Amino acid sequence: MAGTAARLTAGAFLMALALAAGAREHSAPQTPWHSLSPEQQRILGPVAPEWDRMPGFQQQRLLGAARQYPDMRPIQKQRFEQRIRDWSAMTPEQRRAARQTFQGLRQLPPERQHELRERWLRSHPGYEKHGR
Amino acid sequence: MNEKDFAERIRPWLARAEAQVGEVEATRLRAARLRALDAVREPVRLFGLVAVSEATAQTIRYSVIQRSLLWLPMLAFLATLAFQSVRESDPGEIDAQLLTQELPPDAFLDQDFRQWLEQPHG
Repeated sequence: MAGTAARLTAGAFLMALALAAGAREHSAPQTPWHSLSPEQQRILGPVAPEWDRMPGFQQQRLLGAARQYPDMRPIQKQRFEQRIRDWSAMTPEQRRAARQTFQGLRQLPPERQHELRERWLRSHPGYEKHGR
Repeated sequence: MNEKDFAERIRPWLARAEAQVGEVEATRLRAARLRALDAVREPVRLFGLVAVSEATAQTIRYSVIQRSLLWLPMLAFLATLAFQSVRESDPGEIDAQLLTQELPPDAFLDQDFRQWLEQPHG
């Protein structure tokens, strides 16, 4: 009896935590474009037209990504600028799925990661020619 | 007649009477037996502070261990959450990595790519 009660309490607690985490993400306040620093506006320039329509949690993620910008290598900066607009145009579900797959890739040994990257690039020759 | 012989002699009588003892009486007898055993045992010092009976000490130890085991999965879960929140304190860090590495974000939505990822490798 006490065991069942404890299990129910633990289940309710875990559910509450999960809901709280979801609610916290979706309740992030919006940050108006004009309140960004000139540096942030420059980095996030490609998404400026859509910025004020984005939900707060998406803006926070993009601001977080922009904070990494100064430490990026030139090729990474170039990729960031090219991809950020398409990235922010994806649905939240697509972004979540992409992050999940990306994190799955990162958990593999480096040789296997390299092998899978090369395999994808070989199967998308158009991308290799223009986007790499 | 020593104590052991006496016990042997009365055992059949007690065994015969046992069948007539109801559930409630059996429980009360069991409790009384435990109290009696508890009374003759040496007191135990708990954590070197207070002297309690052996039975009480056992109950406390059992209760502490049982509760600890009950809370252990919860503590492990909270520790994992705390670890993740420290590791991912910047929610944009993964996005930045995803956007700047070799493959475009579309690749991670590619069904083929996801299947390759799940394939076992040697």
